Amino acid sequence: MPSIEKEPKWPESQGRTYWRSLRELAASSEYRQYVERAFPPHAAEKLDGPSRREFLRVIAASLALAGATGCRWPKETIVPYGKRPDNRIPGVPAHFATAMELGGVASGLLVTSYDGRPIKIEGNPSHPINQGAASAIEQASVLELYDPDRSRRPSQRDKDQTTDRSWDEFATYAKERMTAWRAQKGKGVYVLSEASSSPSLSDMRQCWLEALPETKWLEYEPVSNDNEREGTRLATGTPLLAHPKLDRAEIILSLEADPLGRHPAALKLARDFIVGRNPDGESVNRLYAVESYYTTTGAMADHRLIMPSGSIELFALYICAELFHKQNLEIPENLQPIKVALEPFLDHKIYPKYIPIIAKELTSHKGRSVILAGPQQSEIVHALVYLMNWLLDSIGKTITYTEAPDPKRATHLDAIRSLKEDMNAGIVQALIILGGNPAYDSPVDLNLPGELANLEHTIHLSLYENETSQRCRWRLPRAHFLESWGDARAYDGTICAIQPLIAPLYEGKSAIELLSSMLEEKPQSGYEIVRRVMKIQMGEANFEARWQTFLHDGILSDSRYNEITPDVTSAALLDVIANTSNEPIPFGKDKLELVFVPDSKIYDGRFSNNGWLQELPDYHTKLTWDNAAMISPALAEELSVRNGEMILLRYEDRRELEIAAYIMPGQAQYSIMLPLGYGRTAAGRAGNGVGFNTYQLRTTSAMNCRTGLYIEPLGYAYPLAMTQDHHFIDLVGMRERERRIGELIREADLDEYKKNPDFLHQEEAHHTVHPLWKEQEYPNHKWGMAIDLNSCIGCNACVAACQAENNIPVVGKKQVKNGREMHWIRIDRYFKGDANEPEIAHQPVACVQCENAPCEQVCPVAATTHDHEGLNAMVYNRCIGTRYCSNNCPYKVRRFNFFNYQKDLQDMEKMQYNPDVTVRSRGVMEKCTYCTQRIEAVKIAAKNDGRAIADGEIIPACAQTCPTKAIVFGDLNNKQSRAAQLHAKSRSYFMLGELNIKPRTAYLAKIRNPNPELAVEEDV
Amino acid sequence: MNSTVMQEIDNTYNDPARRAELVVGGNDFATLTDKVCSLVERPQPPREWYIALAVSSSLTLVMFAMIGYLILTGVGVWGLNIPVAWGWAIVNFVFWVGIGHAGTLISAILFLFRQKWRTSINRFAEAMTIFAVCCAGIFPGIHVGRVWVTYWLAPYPNQMQMWPNFRSPLLWDVFAVSTYAIVSVMFWYVGMIPDLATLRDRAKTKTRKIFYGLAALGWRGSHRHWHRHECAYLILAALATPLVLSVHSVVSFDFAVAQLPGWHSTIFPPYFVAGAIFSGFAMVITLIVPARKFFGLKEIVTLRHLENMCKIILLTGSIVGYSYAIEFFIAWYGGNPNETFAFINRAFGPYAWAYWTMISCNVIAPQVFWFKKFRTTPWMMLIVAIFVNIGMWFERFVIVVTSLSRDYLPSSWGYYSPTWVDILTFAGSFGLFFTLFLFFLRFLPMIAMAEVKTVMPQASLLYGKHRGVGDYHGDIPHAHEPKYWGEKT
Repeated sequence: MPSIEKEPKWPESQGRTYWRSLRELAASSEYRQYVERAFPPHAAEKLDGPSRREFLRVIAASLALAGATGCRWPKETIVPYGKRPDNRIPGVPAHFATAMELGGVASGLLVTSYDGRPIKIEGNPSHPINQGAASAIEQASVLELYDPDRSRRPSQRDKDQTTDRSWDEFATYAKERMTAWRAQKGKGVYVLSEASSSPSLSDMRQCWLEALPETKWLEYEPVSNDNEREGTRLATGTPLLAHPKLDRAEIILSLEADPLGRHPAALKLARDFIVGRNPDGESVNRLYAVESYYTTTGAMADHRLIMPSGSIELFALYICAELFHKQNLEIPENLQPIKVALEPFLDHKIYPKYIPIIAKELTSHKGRSVILAGPQQSEIVHALVYLMNWLLDSIGKTITYTEAPDPKRATHLDAIRSLKEDMNAGIVQALIILGGNPAYDSPVDLNLPGELANLEHTIHLSLYENETSQRCRWRLPRAHFLESWGDARAYDGTICAIQPLIAPLYEGKSAIELLSSMLEEKPQSGYEIVRRVMKIQMGEANFEARWQTFLHDGILSDSRYNEITPDVTSAALLDVIANTSNEPIPFGKDKLELVFVPDSKIYDGRFSNNGWLQELPDYHTKLTWDNAAMISPALAEELSVRNGEMILLRYEDRRELEIAAYIMPGQAQYSIMLPLGYGRTAAGRAGNGVGFNTYQLRTTSAMNCRTGLYIEPLGYAYPLAMTQDHHFIDLVGMRERERRIGELIREADLDEYKKNPDFLHQEEAHHTVHPLWKEQEYPNHKWGMAIDLNSCIGCNACVAACQAENNIPVVGKKQVKNGREMHWIRIDRYFKGDANEPEIAHQPVACVQCENAPCEQVCPVAATTHDHEGLNAMVYNRCIGTRYCSNNCPYKVRRFNFFNYQKDLQDMEKMQYNPDVTVRSRGVMEKCTYCTQRIEAVKIAAKNDGRAIADGEIIPACAQTCPTKAIVFGDLNNKQSRAAQLHAKSRSYFMLGELNIKPRTAYLAKIRNPNPELAVEEDV
Repeated sequence: MNSTVMQEIDNTYNDPARRAELVVGGNDFATLTDKVCSLVERPQPPREWYIALAVSSSLTLVMFAMIGYLILTGVGVWGLNIPVAWGWAIVNFVFWVGIGHAGTLISAILFLFRQKWRTSINRFAEAMTIFAVCCAGIFPGIHVGRVWVTYWLAPYPNQMQMWPNFRSPLLWDVFAVSTYAIVSVMFWYVGMIPDLATLRDRAKTKTRKIFYGLAALGWRGSHRHWHRHECAYLILAALATPLVLSVHSVVSFDFAVAQLPGWHSTIFPPYFVAGAIFSGFAMVITLIVPARKFFGLKEIVTLRHLENMCKIILLTGSIVGYSYAIEFFIAWYGGNPNETFAFINRAFGPYAWAYWTMISCNVIAPQVFWFKKFRTTPWMMLIVAIFVNIGMWFERFVIVVTSLSRDYLPSSWGYYSPTWVDILTFAGSFGLFFTLFLFFLRFLPMIAMAEVKTVMPQASLLYGKHRGVGDYHGDIPHAHEPKYWGEKT
């Protein structure tokens, strides 16, 4: 590995060096040489050391201002989050708050930086959405930082010839172009940006538009929530952003919304949802989910109504009609015409029994109920949802609305469409693309990639040289968010700071830096831009202190969007309702529906090259390294399609796609769900050729869902790699699985639980097991864990956290298919009941640290033994790899290094490793340690301070990031600890406890809350 | 080959009035010695031997290449996974150890039980045992993840101050199998010394003289030598006898001590031992039927020998079949649902094909040995024996793989398929086995001449000048009995 300890040769002093911008630094040739030396493919030359005086001055100044930062010392100061050392202590990690923007929404992160290398991402506890948790994608972004496939330097394509360029060469080109563009006031210049809520970018955009007023600035995201904007605009005249308050909602009706899963604020929504679902609390919410495919929300629902996505609009109208006509709600005068228009929808043709009951529940919980709609749903649904929430008095109570950011912008679809039209018309002379990958993810009927390649002046700023970069003239490397300055707004509008944890590893620049370098004679650094913009936000008064606080906290307090509650304007809505038919759209096997959904892991495809995410099992399918068409068991039977079989999807307009089928229980019968984001051709080594490019079927008229599809089984199998049911289960296995689930995942309905809180332990067979010998006692600490199945939503955050914390290797599709995935914690997913209308249960499983561990007894070399605190320790050095321990582990949580998975990693990727955790070689068994390194770190700190360890001070990675706090760790000897208290609850049980292995992890039974009225219906 | 085509001579009768002879064809000591020694003394082995050696040694090389590849790459080259972390390597290990049972059983237990018919086949069977144990020994060694530290299994004083874990059945295996291997080799060698001396005495070339001379350890055939030899042989037999029972019991502990449904079972030790004897005898038949024909040894390894072996196969096969039935009964009677499922899954789950292969080969096929026709027709018994070999391999496969593939948590259920490396390594182990066997046939006396002579009528006290020699094994005829075959009484 190239030395990361070496200090750069600092450029000649230019006054107060430490305030110099990163950009200037990056531009200097000395710095570039340094970058090339520190992270080069061929580092050869030896660096001259900096002069001692110079070095000390820089370091002293930096420390005086900010404390330690990184090995590559970004010159601007950022403020460490938690611990602010007086001087840097090598080996003691520092934590910095920053933010990651995805689809225009910022999540607040807390990054652990180890000797200047960001190695782990957690949620920022101060951030209103994250509150300490981070999603799998957010956590995996640290791997993206070290991705060796990232775009490394500017390059220019001329015909088929691509030449590496320097930023200086680009500057020359840009200067020349800018002169020309300025002369024509920017006419013919287009900027296509990915969605961003950054005030700085917005400011730079303003500057740009001032300089080149005729520039067309467009924003495109393949996955967008524009339907909500447009729907609320339809209902109120103002585009709105909905903020559900699920902790206050007792009845939740989700119309294919996924507040717990794919929603940008899912972490907060999931937390709130679980707060309102405490079976030992006052009230337990009830969730009705109406959806065509399984969402995380649907998996948590008490009642899940399955219907094609296209029928949900009608369903919403039925509910709406029921509310208007049957539920004794006060209908204001201006809505009377709507009431009349809704009359035809009183004749319910879908789920007729459910609709009155749901409407009744919503009404009886007026002000405590809420209706949500998903981004795939049409504008009408969103408009109706606003209307119904308004009618149910939910607005301001269980849901609030704010004005959508940038209300004037065109929808993403209109934006990309207008760009294409202008390209066709020959108006587009130059196109600057900031991030994104429209050549891959734009609607296929626009044929954007083809046109793009013909443009004379195209510039693409991108993290990777992706499909779009390949078609652009200039490809500019973009700085990762962990290496650049910026700002962005959280889902609730809070402004978040984006600070660099490390100087750019390659020659990346952020979007604002690029714009500044093009616009300004003396370009500003990202730092300067953000500071300037924040000064406008915060005001001059006491700015320095507020700026420090902003960087320290990562957020600007009190910068949320303002709530508004506009009245419903009935005219437009009335028109739409009047034009909607009461007849359900007929679906059938020749007329199927297709629903496009962003992938649960790689989102719209931008995280394709991230091995952690590729290998992360999907929430429900447990599929890795692939996407597949979700088809229902009923349809599969009708068409005799087998699981994993290749099928041909064909539209009536003859667009077609070959894709593997995945038979998904609970999928709507005539609806097919296609995850987006796969089938990339220029993603990088990990992402290329993985899965099927479902964008090939996504047209401007069918961005979310479309009917008129039919499928043809192709008769040959495609290898799908799943981490569960690696091989499809036969009938014998299915019966047995069905029988066992009830024992492994204990459940009860709320009524049953309230009547008989001790239900678990009464059913248990009472046989006492007498130990054969005197059992070990644990007088000091007795570490244990409790996992509340009632709170687990199966979001995968713990899996990603564990992977990052414990240096868990990525093994690739072939190995996963072979059953060799390495995740120390996995989320078992079981279906219950009828395959077409199943229930889902999730259960996170990691090593339960049995006190009578079966693995320990059989190891011939005593490589796995107990420590004095009851941890089942794994001594990698001693392990010879007989794998007997795994055979004897009833939970099968042990993972074996069948190969040397580290062998092919590049030095850059190895920088991510957590130095506190051993990197395992081949032939060695490994498994969850309850994050023993974290336990030790706290124990050492407590010992140094001469104090006892407080409860909650030690948090394993999985528990730390769990958005719903389903995983709790603590000392079972301390009866006051949360873990011990959870162990003592009547809901707690030990999975496979009957084997007398004395697990230390207890599970808490899941309590469902079905509507008793419907339960009767279902029984009949 | 200079074997004469002969009719089988039927000595399988059970006439209480007449003891069936164990060497037929009117052989005396000299012809016996000539027949056995001539096979070793030919200047050139036959072309067939070379062809067989070419095939088997190529397979051996393939196995070593596979092992090299395995060690360089990692055990991932096999089809193993989580949950099935043991696959063909362990199956093959148990299979070969099982085969290695017949030799010691024949030489030690039958010796102690005065089963004189053992003499014609014991050398052969012991050689097979040792070669099978060689093959078996390879697998546990290479199946570990880090081959280069396998020596940590040995309890030796070290700077880590670490002992192996004596609670682990794998460690018991190490001791059981190595003890068995050592005792088997000693038993084989001690028994062979008089025959090696015979070869030395007949040797014509210098090389042979030196080789056999050294190997014979200065045997001169004095009474004192015979006395010492037979004492040693008896002691070794007594030592080896419990080993026959213990080795496979300990191997079965690898499974029985684990708590996996389908493994955790007290029936395993007797059932494994019976299975081992079953498979061992099947392998002896598989080897000896062609060998006696090819090398013209039908007079020494007679139909009666073969029939006796068939009877043992029938007995042990029935014990094995009974064990299969009892396992099912206990699974039901025990009332442990996980256990019940393990067995239902074996018979009707994804590995049902393996289970029914096992049942057909191990339980159904040997039942034909109720019929004398099958017990006395070499080609028929050869076919059954091959079935039994296949069946016994599958038995171990069923036990190891099906139990592992579906244990407690359905979420971690899996399926195991071998890779080409698995297959070639196993095929290669046969190569090693046959290579060693071919060398044995070429260079060592494949029939224990000295022992066979003791059961020939000529060794009778009443018969000629050889009277009294080796009389320990000797068949002392009663007065009314013929002293030798054909003598009128």
